[in-house]
Amino acid sequence: MDKKKFKILAIVDGVLIVALVVFMFALKGKYNDQAQASVKEQVGAYKATVNTALQDQWKSMDQYGMAWKLVYATVTGAKTEAAFNANVQKIFEDKDARFKQLSYMYTAASIPAQVQNDIAAVGLAEQFLLKDEGGVKEIACGKNCVAKFTFVKGKLKESDYKALVEYKFAENFSIGAPAEFKFE
Amino acid sequence: MNIKNISIVLTVLLVFIAALVLMQKGNYVDQATEHYKKTTDASFKGGQKILEYVNNSVDVNKLVWAMSVEALQTVKTSQDMAKLEAKYFPTTKGSNSIANKTRRFEATSAYFIVSNFDKVDEDKKNNLKTLSGLKSIDVGALMGEAPVAQEEEMPEGEEEEVEE
Repeated sequence: MDKKKFKILAIVDGVLIVALVVFMFALKGKYNDQAQASVKEQVGAYKATVNTALQDQWKSMDQYGMAWKLVYATVTGAKTEAAFNANVQKIFEDKDARFKQLSYMYTAASIPAQVQNDIAAVGLAEQFLLKDEGGVKEIACGKNCVAKFTFVKGKLKESDYKALVEYKFAENFSIGAPAEFKFE
Repeated sequence: MNIKNISIVLTVLLVFIAALVLMQKGNYVDQATEHYKKTTDASFKGGQKILEYVNNSVDVNKLVWAMSVEALQTVKTSQDMAKLEAKYFPTTKGSNSIANKTRRFEATSAYFIVSNFDKVDEDKKNNLKTLSGLKSIDVGALMGEAPVAQEEEMPEGEEEEVEE
């Protein structure tokens, strides 16, 4: 190649180098923003999934605790529909007692107070008495757990809290592993 | 340096910068992936641990509740209670307090119950004192009314003084 061609090559190289450097810096900012936004979004979504599972367990434990209190009250107290209704209402409305029981359970399980507070921010279970029809009452005793009490002419005929006694916690509460990170 | 050398150096530099541009995205993806993995793994493990600790602890709580409710319907004496305890917790036994006419069963330091009996019976042959006439069972600890006791691990095989 002669000198002139090398000169043209050098000029073209120079121009391309400048263009590529500019392009590189432009991309750098773009990728940085994209990566940060992407990580934030996907980490946030996963943390929300974990929180939902923990809050789900918290509310279920609340129902579980209320259900045992109700069973205990039913076994030890008057076996009438009126007494049962009063117990359901009393147990459900005593939010301080519910929180105290839950907090005790979580402390017994070695869950630190700060972590408990974060989970407890979701509040207590919204439901306890699920069904009340013709003397048949269904009580929520946790996620996928229902206890049934049947009354005939105002008297307790049958208490079915087998689901509560046989409740398998590990089968009801779990968290899936995080998905692979996606960067578009 | 003549123009030939300059143009060769610039060409090499151009190839190098082009390679940098191409690798740039990969670097950001690697960094982001690493950060994502680290953060979500911590969240996953922390969450799993909480679920597991609560599940395991409440498994014991459930047995104590079930035992208490069954006891209220079937138990009359401290011997009956001891049999029921053995059914639910084969390795843990309760203990009678003859003076207080109570029997305490502690599944863990957090979860215990105290059964109250009506009277003390004495076997005259061997002077063995037992309790009879179950009146009530104090389930305060199951209702969260006892001073909070934190369990690091579920003690197994914990035995107490037995008097039957």
